[in-house]
Amino acid sequence: MTYLITRSISGAALALLVSTAPIAKAETPANQLVIGTSLAQVLSVDPQQGTEPKTQEILAAVYDRLVYVDEKNQLKPQLAESWTVDQTGITFKLRDAKFSSGNPVTAKDVVFSLVRLLKLNQSASSYFKNSGFSADNIETLVKAVDQKTLRIELTKATTSEDLLYRLAMGISSVVDSVEVQKHFANNDYGNEWLRTNAAGSGPYVLRRWTPNETVILEANKDYWGSAPKMVRVIMRHVPESQTARLMLEKGDIDIANALTAPDVKSFVGNAKFAIDATKVGGFYVLAMNAAREPLSKPEVREALAYGIDYKNIAATILGPYGRPRNVPVPEDWAGAIANPDWSFQPEKAKALLAKAGYPNGFSLTLKTIAQPPRVDMATAIQANLAQIGVKVEIKQGNGADIVAQHRARDFDLLIPQSAAVMPNALGALNDFVTNPDNRAEAKNAGNFVWRSDWNITEINALRDKANAEADTAKRADMVKQLQEMFIAQKPAVLPMFERFEPIVRNVNVVGYSPNLWALNRLENVTKTAKK
Amino acid sequence: MKEFTPIEVARRVGQLAVSLFALLIVTFVIGRVLPTDPVGAIVGELADPAAFAAMRQKLGLDLPIYQQFIIYVGSLLRGDLGTAILTGNPVTKDLAKAFPATFELATLAVIISTIIGVPLGMLAALFRDTWFDQIARVVSLVGHSIPVFWFGVVGLVIFYATLAWVGGPGRVDTYLDGLIEPRTGLLLVDSLLEGDTETFWNAVSHIVLPACILAYSAMAYIARMTRSFTLEQLNQDYVIAARAKGASSRRIVIGHLLPNIAVQLVTILAISYGGLLEGAVVTEIVFSWPGIGQYMTNALMIGDMNAILAGTLVIGTIFMVLNFISDLAYLVLDPRTREVTQ
Repeated sequence: MTYLITRSISGAALALLVSTAPIAKAETPANQLVIGTSLAQVLSVDPQQGTEPKTQEILAAVYDRLVYVDEKNQLKPQLAESWTVDQTGITFKLRDAKFSSGNPVTAKDVVFSLVRLLKLNQSASSYFKNSGFSADNIETLVKAVDQKTLRIELTKATTSEDLLYRLAMGISSVVDSVEVQKHFANNDYGNEWLRTNAAGSGPYVLRRWTPNETVILEANKDYWGSAPKMVRVIMRHVPESQTARLMLEKGDIDIANALTAPDVKSFVGNAKFAIDATKVGGFYVLAMNAAREPLSKPEVREALAYGIDYKNIAATILGPYGRPRNVPVPEDWAGAIANPDWSFQPEKAKALLAKAGYPNGFSLTLKTIAQPPRVDMATAIQANLAQIGVKVEIKQGNGADIVAQHRARDFDLLIPQSAAVMPNALGALNDFVTNPDNRAEAKNAGNFVWRSDWNITEINALRDKANAEADTAKRADMVKQLQEMFIAQKPAVLPMFERFEPIVRNVNVVGYSPNLWALNRLENVTKTAKK
Repeated sequence: MKEFTPIEVARRVGQLAVSLFALLIVTFVIGRVLPTDPVGAIVGELADPAAFAAMRQKLGLDLPIYQQFIIYVGSLLRGDLGTAILTGNPVTKDLAKAFPATFELATLAVIISTIIGVPLGMLAALFRDTWFDQIARVVSLVGHSIPVFWFGVVGLVIFYATLAWVGGPGRVDTYLDGLIEPRTGLLLVDSLLEGDTETFWNAVSHIVLPACILAYSAMAYIARMTRSFTLEQLNQDYVIAARAKGASSRRIVIGHLLPNIAVQLVTILAISYGGLLEGAVVTEIVFSWPGIGQYMTNALMIGDMNAILAGTLVIGTIFMVLNFISDLAYLVLDPRTREVTQ
């Protein structure tokens, strides 16, 4: 009897529950933007620390910078209303703006943020350090003149244009100094707190960040610009590309920005979706250890440059992610020189190897991160080089392992990727032509060329000159010369493919403007009715 | 069969502690010997060696390994599992979030797989070498040999993208995300406690597919094992005797056979459940399920030792506790052990 009663009660409860079951709906709300992404690399949302592209997308929305670089790579004002450039520095006038805490944005906050960047001394600070700024001189070079006026002095290693570009990067985001100072602990400049919290003046506030799950941004009611149309932006961690693709097709997400090449390609010709491939100004690179035989010989390095089937790799593996290019300046950027003759020519490669004393080839290891597309590139390169008699053994590892070995000069061949520090020729060249001190004792492990143990004293000297040259015509000449010297010395840091970051978006999403550092502003994004 | 006196229980708990400690040492040493360095993930690829050294010191990684271990065990005993580099949160907080997600999925999966797998295996044995047995065998074989990844993606294509019978990846639709205050961490339970039926049904529609897919591979194993246990029993004298007495097949199976294979069944169910709780990494990735499998994978990728060690401890404890529970279950299920205890 009891059995019967419990059974009928639970039966009734179940029936009641079932009657409330809704009809499945799969569409994002009209005033919310949902981005399917990979948050695996997002370890810190401290703008003076996190440099990973997916982090930049968050920083772009939550923080402002003095200036920004638009989708056409033009410098535009952001927190700075205007600026005047003179011989020795730049003076900025700040607009009236408030942080989400309610504190006003002042010149002191900008000074604080830039000092913080260099004092924290993380990877992020390297972009300012290679412009001559340092933890020691930053406080004398950046000064608040008054509440709304800021003055930054130029160093000998930089021009006003370069400085403006650096101020447009995510690392130069302006943080709320009053708020952050409340959270100082153990001399960490508030890093422990700002790693997981935000204190910015951008169009959105960070409502919630659940690592490896979701980031929820909400429109900032006190934003100085026009109010964002999307009241919420949700970034969802979708680690599996095919899953993200299905969610996009189904309408559960509006944008997918971490799809593999085949999944991006599957949207080609689909009228409901648009593919935006942003040129990031960086490259997929074949790093060679120039201190190791036989890679120390320029002929051998050139033989490898002739031994890779760039065209085929771009077509079959990279797709929307890359385009063949051996000069470290994107083809259509001002001042780029034409590509050398390097293409897949096994006969030429073999002749060069014979000339260098290796008619029967040799064996090398190739280290790579075990992730597409780089791991697939490694396999293709292995097959290509086999045809010129170079036996390649592939060693895979996770990001941390491979980067550590790259930094320790512990490799024969390795596939890293470069990034542009400025959206111009000199910015793209930076990773390839900088190596002030090649000695092991210099421990310049953050530097790409140093890691390859490739001594380029002359090129580096010219790079320094070009960086400090304010005369545009002279500078353009030097940039051209830099590229020619780079190619002539048969680079140990060989650019193979220009990098692109493709995203696929539902065509009803309008006003999404990609930036080369993934600092994509979202305040003008709107959604039209779905077709 | 062991007796379960208080002394025996205490001995078991002692064993558990020793095993966990050994597990901890092994994981710790492996973790520290591996080349993966969490420092790079924090300070970034372009940082100079001084920044690396400073961070290494801050994390205590500059100390000799035995010293690091002593410090770790010291805080462990105080209930402090450290902070995860991955999330910046205390590891305990992360696990309290990730584990219920896996627990919910695994429990549902093990229930489904038992309800289907045990009868399927028994029927296959009873109708040995008939068409039913053949079909059951093929079903099990497919479940056992086709990768879960493939099932996951195909399942999503069919049931989510095409038929729209189930919700998509994740525990709940985006617009409902984060609305329920976690009490148990089990979304199905929490949403019912709050009386939020919309979230409940949404969560059901999201969990059904990954649970069924996980259940399928577990079911294959359970069915195969049940079949062989049953076959073994069918040749026993007591079955023949029961048949001779004229007992119906139903009575033989339920009254005689099932109690006899129950002990073995409990063991394999515990193994299956343990395997599922360990975090079905692939399923969690395909379904963007924020469980312990995904958490541990991400932690491994950057060498986040606090997260890895804590996760290992949790999984180790689960296995040992399940083992303990299945031993306890013997006591209930096997009359012979009961007599000894009395």
